[in-house]
Amino acid sequence: MEGLRWSWHSWPATKPEVASLVIPLSIMCTPLTPFNELPILPYDPLTCSQCHAVLNPYSRVDYTAKIWVCPFCYEKNRFPVSYIHINENNIPAELFPTYCTVEYHLNKRGSEQGSGLSSGLGSAPSMNKALGMRSNSSSFTSMSAYLGSSSGSDWAGPGLVVGPAIVFVVDACTPEDELGLLKSELLHVITRLPENALVGLVVFDSMVKVYDLGFTECLRVVLFHGEREVSSEQTKQLLGLHHMTQSLGKSSAVQRKDFLLPVSQCEFNITSAIEDIHSSPQIMRGHRPLRSTGVAISVAVGLLEGCLVNTGSRVMVFTSGPATIGPGIIVNSDLGNAIRTHRDLNNVHAAYYRKSCEFYKQISQRLSDSSIILDLFACSLDQVGAAEIKVPVESSGGFMMLGESFASDQFRKCLRQMFDRDDSGNLKMCFDATIEIVTTKDVKICGALGPCNSMRKMNNSVSNKEIGEGGTYIWKLGTVTSKTCIAFFFEVGDGQNIHSGSAFFIQFITRYRYGNMGIRKRVTTVSRRWARKHSPEIAAGFDQEVAASVMARLAIHRTERSHAHDVVRWLDKTLIRFASKFGDYMPEDPSSFRLSSNFSLYPQFIYYLRRSQFIDVFNSTPDETAYIRLMLNREGVVNSLIMVQPTLFQYSFDGPPVPVLLDVCSISPDVILLFDSFFYVVIHYGSKIAQWRKLGYDKDPSHENFRKLLEAPELDAEQLVAERVPVPKLIKCDQHSSQARFLLAKLNPSVTHNSTYTDGSEIIFTDDVSLQVFLEHLQELAVQDPSGHELNRIVTAAHDLTWGVPRLKCGLDNASGIEGLPLQGAERISIQVLELLLLSELLDDRLGHDESHTVSKDQFNHYDSVVVDRDEAVEDGGEMAGSVLDVGDLELGKKVGEELVPVVDTKVETVVVREESKYLMLKLRQRLSWR
Amino acid sequence: MATPGGPRPGNFPPNYSTNTLANNMQNLQINQQQSNNPRGDAPRPPHAAPPGQQPQPFGGNRPRAPPPGVFPRGPVPTNGASQTTLPWNPASTLTSPSSVFQPPPSFIMRTPPPVALASSAGGPVPPPPGAAPLTGPGTRPQPFISAPLTSVPPVLPQMSTSGPSNNGPTAFSSWPSQGGPHFPPAMAGTPQPPAGPPQLPTLMTSGPSAQPLQMRPYFRSPAGASPVTGQPAPPFSAPTQSMHQPSGSPHGMQAWPPQPGQVAPHPPVPGPMQQQRMYGMLPAPPPLPNQSMSLSHTGQSKIDPNQIPRPIRSSSVIIHETRQGNQSSPPPPATSDYIVKDTGNCSPRHMRCTINQIPCTVDVLSTSSMQLALLVQPLALPHPSEEPIQVVDFGENGPVRCSRCKGYINPFMKFIDQGRRFICNLCGFTDETPSDYHCNLGPDGRRRDADERPELCRGTVEFVATKEYMVREPMPAVFFFLIDVSMSAIQTGATAAACSAINQVIDDLPEGPRTMVGIATFDSSIHFYNLKRALQQPLMLIVPDVQDVYTPLQSDIIVHLSECRQHLELLLESIPTMFQNNRTTDSAFGAAIKAAFLAMKSSGGKLLVFQSVLSSIGIGSLSAREAEGRSNKTAGEKEAQKLLQPVDKTLKTMAIEFAEYQVCVDLFITTQTYVDIASISVVTRTTGGQVYYYYPFSALSDPAKLYNDLRWNVTRPQGFEAVMRVRCSQGIQVQEYFGNFCKRIPTDVDLPAIDCNKTIMVTLKHDDKLQEGSECAFQCALLYTTVYGQRRIRVSTLSLPCTTMLSNLFRSADLDTQFACVLKQVASEIPSAPLTQVREQATNVCINILHSYRKFCATASSSGQLILPEALKLLPLYTLALLKSIGLRADGRVDDRSFWINYVSPLSTPLAIPLVYPRMITIHDLDEKDLDDSPIPSPVPLSSEDISDEGIYLLENGEDCLIYVGNSASPDILQQLFGISSIEEIPNQYVLQQYDNPLSKKLNDVVNEIRRQRCSYLRLKLCRKGDPSGMMFFSYMVEDKTPSGLSYVEFLVHIHRQIQSKMA
Repeated sequence: MEGLRWSWHSWPATKPEVASLVIPLSIMCTPLTPFNELPILPYDPLTCSQCHAVLNPYSRVDYTAKIWVCPFCYEKNRFPVSYIHINENNIPAELFPTYCTVEYHLNKRGSEQGSGLSSGLGSAPSMNKALGMRSNSSSFTSMSAYLGSSSGSDWAGPGLVVGPAIVFVVDACTPEDELGLLKSELLHVITRLPENALVGLVVFDSMVKVYDLGFTECLRVVLFHGEREVSSEQTKQLLGLHHMTQSLGKSSAVQRKDFLLPVSQCEFNITSAIEDIHSSPQIMRGHRPLRSTGVAISVAVGLLEGCLVNTGSRVMVFTSGPATIGPGIIVNSDLGNAIRTHRDLNNVHAAYYRKSCEFYKQISQRLSDSSIILDLFACSLDQVGAAEIKVPVESSGGFMMLGESFASDQFRKCLRQMFDRDDSGNLKMCFDATIEIVTTKDVKICGALGPCNSMRKMNNSVSNKEIGEGGTYIWKLGTVTSKTCIAFFFEVGDGQNIHSGSAFFIQFITRYRYGNMGIRKRVTTVSRRWARKHSPEIAAGFDQEVAASVMARLAIHRTERSHAHDVVRWLDKTLIRFASKFGDYMPEDPSSFRLSSNFSLYPQFIYYLRRSQFIDVFNSTPDETAYIRLMLNREGVVNSLIMVQPTLFQYSFDGPPVPVLLDVCSISPDVILLFDSFFYVVIHYGSKIAQWRKLGYDKDPSHENFRKLLEAPELDAEQLVAERVPVPKLIKCDQHSSQARFLLAKLNPSVTHNSTYTDGSEIIFTDDVSLQVFLEHLQELAVQDPSGHELNRIVTAAHDLTWGVPRLKCGLDNASGIEGLPLQGAERISIQVLELLLLSELLDDRLGHDESHTVSKDQFNHYDSVVVDRDEAVEDGGEMAGSVLDVGDLELGKKVGEELVPVVDTKVETVVVREESKYLMLKLRQRLSWR
Repeated sequence: MATPGGPRPGNFPPNYSTNTLANNMQNLQINQQQSNNPRGDAPRPPHAAPPGQQPQPFGGNRPRAPPPGVFPRGPVPTNGASQTTLPWNPASTLTSPSSVFQPPPSFIMRTPPPVALASSAGGPVPPPPGAAPLTGPGTRPQPFISAPLTSVPPVLPQMSTSGPSNNGPTAFSSWPSQGGPHFPPAMAGTPQPPAGPPQLPTLMTSGPSAQPLQMRPYFRSPAGASPVTGQPAPPFSAPTQSMHQPSGSPHGMQAWPPQPGQVAPHPPVPGPMQQQRMYGMLPAPPPLPNQSMSLSHTGQSKIDPNQIPRPIRSSSVIIHETRQGNQSSPPPPATSDYIVKDTGNCSPRHMRCTINQIPCTVDVLSTSSMQLALLVQPLALPHPSEEPIQVVDFGENGPVRCSRCKGYINPFMKFIDQGRRFICNLCGFTDETPSDYHCNLGPDGRRRDADERPELCRGTVEFVATKEYMVREPMPAVFFFLIDVSMSAIQTGATAAACSAINQVIDDLPEGPRTMVGIATFDSSIHFYNLKRALQQPLMLIVPDVQDVYTPLQSDIIVHLSECRQHLELLLESIPTMFQNNRTTDSAFGAAIKAAFLAMKSSGGKLLVFQSVLSSIGIGSLSAREAEGRSNKTAGEKEAQKLLQPVDKTLKTMAIEFAEYQVCVDLFITTQTYVDIASISVVTRTTGGQVYYYYPFSALSDPAKLYNDLRWNVTRPQGFEAVMRVRCSQGIQVQEYFGNFCKRIPTDVDLPAIDCNKTIMVTLKHDDKLQEGSECAFQCALLYTTVYGQRRIRVSTLSLPCTTMLSNLFRSADLDTQFACVLKQVASEIPSAPLTQVREQATNVCINILHSYRKFCATASSSGQLILPEALKLLPLYTLALLKSIGLRADGRVDDRSFWINYVSPLSTPLAIPLVYPRMITIHDLDEKDLDDSPIPSPVPLSSEDISDEGIYLLENGEDCLIYVGNSASPDILQQLFGISSIEEIPNQYVLQQYDNPLSKKLNDVVNEIRRQRCSYLRLKLCRKGDPSGMMFFSYMVEDKTPSGLSYVEFLVHIHRQIQSKMA
């Protein structure tokens, strides 16, 4: 359609109603969705003088008066002179009712744009002015400044458009053979770059070398110390790029250095420079090589800042290990110290984590200010610190790849794909993009989740409730690809005068700079209708796929700041509320529970999401987690669903491939399964198939069928692999082999070691609840009378639901997790308080006191504040709690507190509940039921 | 001392006497001669001519008179009882001269030598014998004694020996005529001939001749004549001399000295002989050799400038045995050409003392007003004919040392108890001889193996250091070149010059696998170069952060020479073009050396920096405070010397760190502007380096010198990571060290690098009395690493007699050393004290010494006479020259003065005097001169009166060489010498070229010889009258009266007055 997918197609008109929908009003927007018939308009758009919305098919046009009325603000605008010939029979494309998305190709040169020159149909000076002022003017002005300055230098002679700038940041600590592969790949990329593209080269080990590509006498590099943080200013100064900021008086003193040159001018130099990179030899025994990744990135960014390339530029980092010195350090070079794990992060044992994140956050800001993209290509068996670097990569829209070797196909394909060129030889890359949303008055913008940055521009369509990158109506994206997808969140205003059935409009204006440096604007205008209260339209307008992917983004967004357990709890609570809201059931009768078809898949999605590595980080490194979350946060609805709930196809002699349940039952000895989780593609051969293959039947002409059967999934897998960026890892495995774990880990454990019937079929060793159990619990909870007070059931059920039966103890676990206080705090809280907490929370949830599931900032701190309050209550008055407490309880409480902590630490994997703790559990449950 | 001392003193006297006298005589004669016939025979005359020429100045009479005078003496010596006779003779001669003299000016004072003697004797002079001599006619005798003491060591021995032993004469006689020609080098050396003669006179004539030197015309002539003939063989000498003097006395004279071979054997014998005579003859300690001048109160006008003492340089080679007959022999003048035979004491090249006898008490020393100090030059370049220093390997145990003071074994350690134990000559402690070092003693009390073991018979030996002496493996020889490529460096051609110099020098770097090199350039940032072989083209690594520098890690910045030779050459060739368009005017000098240091930190080594502009950014950046000082006159005068101080401590702190990691910095300043040498030189000073200064840098004429300086810098004998300590016998201790080094603990000096040109001054102080008749030893131990990576300890030991007699001190004073010490001390004062005060201080040193002498050793002379101790007779001249030197002039550029101060700091003794009192020779008449022994003609006094408009003069001070072309110089000569036809064509920048004519060849020979002597390539400059260059030339005419300074004669008068007022 328009590249937009809505979680709800019909919006209720009041806030409470919206809140009761549980799933927020959101749009998954893929701004650059490829269209077959996208109208391209070679002129500037007409914008409303008041709200700056672009002229669109929903505008009312008075052809005689040459006036159009903005559908958003109802402002009357006069057509400019260039539209003089407009009439009913001659209307511009942007007014065609079928063209709700059009793309304007603005004048090729940004400078012309900035200076007010224009050609073509549209664009009166006044409009330009408006445009200039409104759009992210920083890049416009700086752009012109840059062009102005560059006129003096070699590049960008008149008429030549300087292309995007690309700075390669190469890790020289990479072993020589790996480095060789990397170098040849880079050289390949260089040859494929358009001639006007600017390139720069930064190489780092314990020091950072910036190559001067304009110097022909010899290779010349500027050296930065790997342990010293350099600010942007310093970098510019040290590189001698501060001439712009200095007045004429003192400039010109510095020998010119060309760190960034068009490929056409420096192809030889950069080629020889790349060839010249050698692996830094000295590595102390027992130490990691000294890598100053942080400084290297900082310097590369400083270089781009200094050259004032705001036309779009990217810093591409190729590394093979963690930073071991300087800012952004991940781990120190002593091999005795292991790289941080999730557990270290939770325990705050990761010495450098916080500082490094802080460092990269600053980088992120700088990237955003200068429209620079940061890409990370990590080819290492170790972690490289992706968790820390994730912030700038994500917010700049950069690409991240975690591979094991530069020799891998994955790396080569990713890199080459990135530099694909279109028919006219331009890079298929977009830079310096902004997305602006214009809405009807009653639609308020809450925020966005995805690879974007809020530009903090407020107008009256911006809600004061923030979700993700909020508080703005314009977002900045370092880059956009045709797949980049951003989730936008909305709410409705207080508007009393909304007529249900009337329409509202939302316009997305995506402005970006294409590979040829021309500026383009894509404008999508959409309209939906307000729904009446309890109108069936609302439910009918639900898109469960979108809902699932939006919830996934919200969930991972929460994981950034809170404990995974809380996120799971939150997911569960919303799911319960959702089910009881939209389920069709008799109160108190779980068996009567039904969900209509367009809701029915949603609980399943959430089930898999809970189990997925996005939430459950057990057994994955922080780097992996960062990486997959980054991808989830970027991909469109379909792909994110694949990530959440992988697809599984079965190939057998019985017929063509069919999708099968993502369940352990689907494994069978005589079938081949093709599993796709986006990051992995697994071809799983049943044990019989594997045996046949080993016996070489596939080579036997008489078993042609078998050969074809073997081939079919491989061909399909290749197709999957080929289309996807980043290229997934292809795994072929036999049933019962170790590699099969990639598949088993994702399957629904409907058959486990606890199951009563195991007729030799595959089982999964896990304590996790299966989908069936999960759904049963959900039904049970959903049919509860919201106002009912059978708390004990709620509590136990909630516990079951949350943690699965075997993990009852996690209820307590959770309690300590909620309050989030350090241990001492937990000690001071009596069991009573814990109970109260649990109860009140559940009550709150059930009673819908929590107004919205999309949590605003202060709500986000909700739990903390509650705990603090209760805590104080105990200490101060003590009456409330004291009345229920006896001394024994207090003591117990302490013990509970002590015991809980280790439980939290060990996380899910091993549930070591000491006898004593079990006893406490029991007591607690008894108490609850007594209540 | 002399008399009382047993056998030793005996030996000394003869030697001394001869020498001193000879010297005195020579000097005077030379001066006279020169003055008389400035152009004529200049070179020769000095030596030979003395007699002949002297006369001339004064008039026909004199010249002739002397010869006669000589004759009389001649006979006397022959008699054998030379002494007695001598005194008288001189007296007679004296009288006559005096009478003659007086007429002219008062200048000659010494007429009444006896009186002087008496007075001195009567005066404070302690020695008992003194009294006797004084009373009696002893005057003569005294001279005798004194003479010995005075310093003219080398040749004298021979003379004396010959003299005393009657046998000698015959031999000598024969030699003079024949030998002369053959042996020119040895004896012929300028001094000797004259020396010979003078000695005699002194001896014979008695002190008178020597002391009263003022007489010069007379005395000398007579003396000169007589001596020659006299001692050795009066009969011969007389004839020869008489013969020679008139015509070509020089030849004869020269001839004499030679016989080194013979001399050697003789010496011992003569010693005793002489002594005996001495005793017999001279009961009384005679007065010291003096030079007195009578200065009329009214004015200097009466002084004949030609009569004043002036230095004479001889070109003949002296053979110097450091000890003779178990006595230390006084060293030859530092500036003379001599060959040392190490017979127990170290060569004077390695260590010289300001006084060659050590005062027993502080009182004696302070009364003399002289200073007790050593000049130590541990790696001094030997004369090619000298034996190399022997290396001794004690194996694993290392050298034998005193267990208490850690002094090293040396010839003066006394073995006792059948060799089982030995007594340390430094601290007096008795040690057990290590069993494997044991050796029985011979009948003479020496170890039987003493002569086979260098450490027991040589003053200087080198021990192989064991592990104990190493804190790490001996460091490799690392040379790191740091070149300024800022705009002005490129444009003035300094960068190109530096690169080409380095390129040429690469081949001269010490070969071997341990030699490593690195290179970097700098402007406002620092550029290192990766010299790794595998790379196709050089890789330049720029360090932009000049506030907080770092150095490329893990990069091949410093590599083995053998691996990068080609790369290096390529790089050096391309550097000038690489930076051709450099527009950076800033220089981050401080940061650059720091970065280079960081690169060298692990190994240490030499950092050679080529700098062209003022360090303006980065660490240790400087401001053009010279200009600020000028514009801000109010603060100017008071703060003047502040400009000579480092601006802050930054560089000092850095330098100390450098030194700690054994990095030595040498600075080649090729500039045309102010670079604040005062501040940056701190680095070189502290790290044992050196500053080379090319101002104003000329791309035409300076590259050659730059290359040669650099080449010498890297090829000269040198050592790294050195530690030096001087130990003294009990009673004396080291007070302070002066020079280019870093001092972290009081007793030692750390020298990241040391080379053959570096001298360290060590001042001494008494902490106890010394035993008269004993000897006081000084031992300098230098632990260092050779360029080939061997760890060595060079130990030089000098043992000198102790004395309580003031007169002995004056007699054994070493003028060159004393003056060098004064020079160094004054130089170190300049930055911290007002100029007038420093000048006054310098003058006072001179006045106090002379006053002390006057008061205690020459009291008898009339107050109208200025009496100069023979050994120190040139002190006033040098002091005057010092006052007029660049460092003590207020009008010079600040940088020039800073450089001067800095240049003086490590300056070796032989170069100290030329620095302030340059050598000037005439070159327009080079080919007319007969220069068979030395290519360098004898010098002309530094007085503009001696400069004629027709002449062309060459003046050199060891660093600069000015060629002055008189306005009326013959075009023909100009054409021959410079290839130009008229004076107008004189170029500003001059490159010495050899044209195909004898004159030009000779000039080249002369210049080359000077270069060789000075170990310096010299900055050549052409000067002509009316130019600034001419002004500069005349500023070296130290004897002239200048607006701010006195003429030589005036200065003498000034000093005389001061002394008089002190006396009163």
